[in-house]
Amino acid sequence: MATKPQIALYLMPATILVLTFFVFPLLFIVYMSFHGWAGLGPATYVGLDNFAYLARDKSFQLALSNTLMWVIAGTFIHTPLCILVALILARRPFMWKLFRTIFFLPNVISATAIALLWYFLYHINLGLINRGLTAAGLGKFGRAWLFDPNSALGATMLPWIIYIGFGMVIFLTQISTIPRELYEAAQLDGATLWEQDWHITIPLIKRAIAMQVLFVVGYALRMFEYPFIMTNGGPANRTINLSLYIYRQMITANQYGLSMAAGVVTLIVGAVLLSAIILVLKRVES
Amino acid sequence: MTNVQQTDTAKPKGLKAVSHPFVRFGIGSWLVITTFLLLTLVPFVWLILSSLKSNRELFSNPFSFPSNWSLANYTSAFAAHPLTIYLRNSLLAALSSTLLALTAACLASYALLHTFRFSRGIYLFLIFGLLLPVNAFIAPIFYLIHFLGLYNTVWGLALVYSGISFPLSFLIIKTYMDTVPRELLEAGRLDAASYHRIFFSIVLPVSIPGIVTAAIFLVITAWNELLFASILTQDQNSQTVQVGVRYFLSTYSANYPQAFAATVMAIIPTVLAYIFLSERVIEGMTAGSIR
Repeated sequence: MATKPQIALYLMPATILVLTFFVFPLLFIVYMSFHGWAGLGPATYVGLDNFAYLARDKSFQLALSNTLMWVIAGTFIHTPLCILVALILARRPFMWKLFRTIFFLPNVISATAIALLWYFLYHINLGLINRGLTAAGLGKFGRAWLFDPNSALGATMLPWIIYIGFGMVIFLTQISTIPRELYEAAQLDGATLWEQDWHITIPLIKRAIAMQVLFVVGYALRMFEYPFIMTNGGPANRTINLSLYIYRQMITANQYGLSMAAGVVTLIVGAVLLSAIILVLKRVES
Repeated sequence: MTNVQQTDTAKPKGLKAVSHPFVRFGIGSWLVITTFLLLTLVPFVWLILSSLKSNRELFSNPFSFPSNWSLANYTSAFAAHPLTIYLRNSLLAALSSTLLALTAACLASYALLHTFRFSRGIYLFLIFGLLLPVNAFIAPIFYLIHFLGLYNTVWGLALVYSGISFPLSFLIIKTYMDTVPRELLEAGRLDAASYHRIFFSIVLPVSIPGIVTAAIFLVITAWNELLFASILTQDQNSQTVQVGVRYFLSTYSANYPQAFAATVMAIIPTVLAYIFLSERVIEGMTAGSIR
């Protein structure tokens, strides 16, 4: 029979990890966000000064709005593409398993390598993209994608938007649980494949869509490698995001208090978006 | 109760297999598939081809096949920077963090097979980190690793990886362990096996598939991590390959094909694992999607 000390012993390593890497950092950043701290020496209490500074700081405003742009692009461009490909592969065309495996491939490759690779794809002379445009007679649209303020943000997002594998697998899994009788009935009524998708499949994968949007939010809040490697936030902070801002305030500016205040804002943004998703899902389901 | 989703297998439970795809299946669908295949594969193929060219050939002819297939960039990449050491550090960090996270997750999952007063609360406590964007924690974690004297060591990095990946690995293993038939535990108790014995000789062996899924997720995530690796390390004592590949571009005489060769080396372990174990890898990487 299990005794209390035995159970406590088995729970100990897990508890220590969670206390160390989630509870302590969470309390620490909330506490320190009210302090000015250079990393060494004593911290001074500054009240809400850090947050007031963030509210005025142009680069923080850009970091926040760019992160929200990632969420919006992820929700309204990336996710529909994931659904589209999932609907097609759900019909199990010739070699669909191979396609599924290939589409998922970018998810096992490090974001660092993907960012480096795309940096070269966007390269002004070398890049596949400009050369491709020239070959297609669209050379006048070629540009220094990552250095042009009008295209830089979109360019840093693009690889993520078109690598649809992860979301596609989530939707494919969900679609495979839909009973086939539902489709047979619709087929008898003469519904086309796209009508079946629209009226049967989509309403039944609502929860998977909510889940996918949740992943999009998590991804956007954590995204660091693409802007860090492709542009380092430039040109003129056009591609900076919350992760990069937190990193910069800490590593480059040594403003630990500010960095952690930005971390607190990141957590709040996450909590607000999470509640919004749950709210929308509840409303759609009722 | 939460359930880790099963990735769909070959059995078509939902839609009927389409017998004549080219007939029933619109040209539009094939256009979509082809487009995404090209978007996914062409960049990686270009990376590999470019890593086999000379710098001059890359600039004069970026899209051709290499005029002579040579691994010269790979040999020179290993000579130019301590790539072997970076790869070794990545491997050590990935394997030791995986081992630590798996140990903690297995022990905790087993303890929570027993229901007691706070078991639900402890379960929620152990997974609440799933919702937190850990990049907000770089300052406290940096401070902590310094405090522990683990700055610029592979072990510090491994400890951080096991911590931040713990909630998901725990969820995967717990969900699997919950499906272990209760009768097995009862049988163990009737044989008067101790608490520890039941864990080691009954629960652990039958949980191996869940543990493997979690391990795949843990190893790949740790191997690919950049943010903490660049904050917690300083030199080749502990820098991982994800940090190291960037040096191939920051040196003043950037040799692009050599940088491509280094990039290929950084991604080849996970890609190879994926080629051989694709279904398990997909399952491990998407195990976080809970119904």
